[in-house]
Amino acid sequence: MSSFSRSAQQWATFARSWFLIDAKMQPPGKIATMCSVRLQGKHKPIYHALSDCGDHVVVINTKHIAFSGNKWEQKVYSSHTGYPGGFKQVTAAQLHLKDPKHLTIVKLAVYGMLPKNLHRRTMMQRLHIFPDDELPDDIRANLTEELPQPREIPRKLSEYTQEEIDAFPRLWTPPEDYKMK
Amino acid sequence: MTSRGTPSRFLQSVLQNGVGRYVSQLKRICIVFSRKAQSSLGVREFIEEGVVDYAKKNPATVVYVSPQSCRIPKIVAEYLNGNVREEIITSKTAPQISDLLTKLTNQSGLDVIRIRKPFHTDNPSIQGQWHPFTNRPPCIGPIRPQKQEAE
Repeated sequence: MSSFSRSAQQWATFARSWFLIDAKMQPPGKIATMCSVRLQGKHKPIYHALSDCGDHVVVINTKHIAFSGNKWEQKVYSSHTGYPGGFKQVTAAQLHLKDPKHLTIVKLAVYGMLPKNLHRRTMMQRLHIFPDDELPDDIRANLTEELPQPREIPRKLSEYTQEEIDAFPRLWTPPEDYKMK
Repeated sequence: MTSRGTPSRFLQSVLQNGVGRYVSQLKRICIVFSRKAQSSLGVREFIEEGVVDYAKKNPATVVYVSPQSCRIPKIVAEYLNGNVREEIITSKTAPQISDLLTKLTNQSGLDVIRIRKPFHTDNPSIQGQWHPFTNRPPCIGPIRPQKQEAE
């Protein structure tokens, strides 16, 4: 690397990478923090707000996004049309019915986490969201790294083998007249 | 004029002068003065006493002394990179002229214009400048290769 000319070294240092994040069974907030860090360029030691050092982020499988807790019913997305009486409030569940691919949910989450300045729109243009595994070939060719998922997906009971279920220690034996639900 | 309208340069040394041997960048000094005029009084006094010592102290510089009939006495200094500086020494005393000569001797011949940054280095990075793949080994093979009807 030290044999590079000055312009080649500069180009290498400020090169834009493409990251891939799989959002299957992940909370959209955690996905959005990872995206916003990389879109701003804050993961780089050469970060400066004015130097336009953000990278591209590709999010896939957004139709399998998973809010924790009761957020599907409780989280409210508000907007105002500008006209009197135009205050609209939509729950995440209603948004899901309107847009089952959850593109708007991820987009709004990342948009809210980026700095509120004029660079935000350019950073949003570098964010690419896809509802499932399908990627266009040119984007697939650009990818440099897949980021690890923020949440560990717990296994369903059906995914455990019978040996593992049997090997699990029995915590207590119920009495004979105990009614299981 | 603002500094955008005037020329500017970056800080530099002439061929890393001083890292090894120091080479005086002053090539030639020409003292132009008049024999009789009052303005060259200080120059004449300097030539009587100081010029020979100066020439002995700076063996790399050629000193020309040229008495002419001129209204304003001058020192014309030529440097190794070709720049020529003229300093007017009317009504200066001999010590002032010797101070001026030391200043010209210590200068390199680079232009006296705005220096953009007060620092410069030829080796900006010792351990190697960061690039996106320092401490992040690149992926071998394509990421998520499409399984074409496999399994």
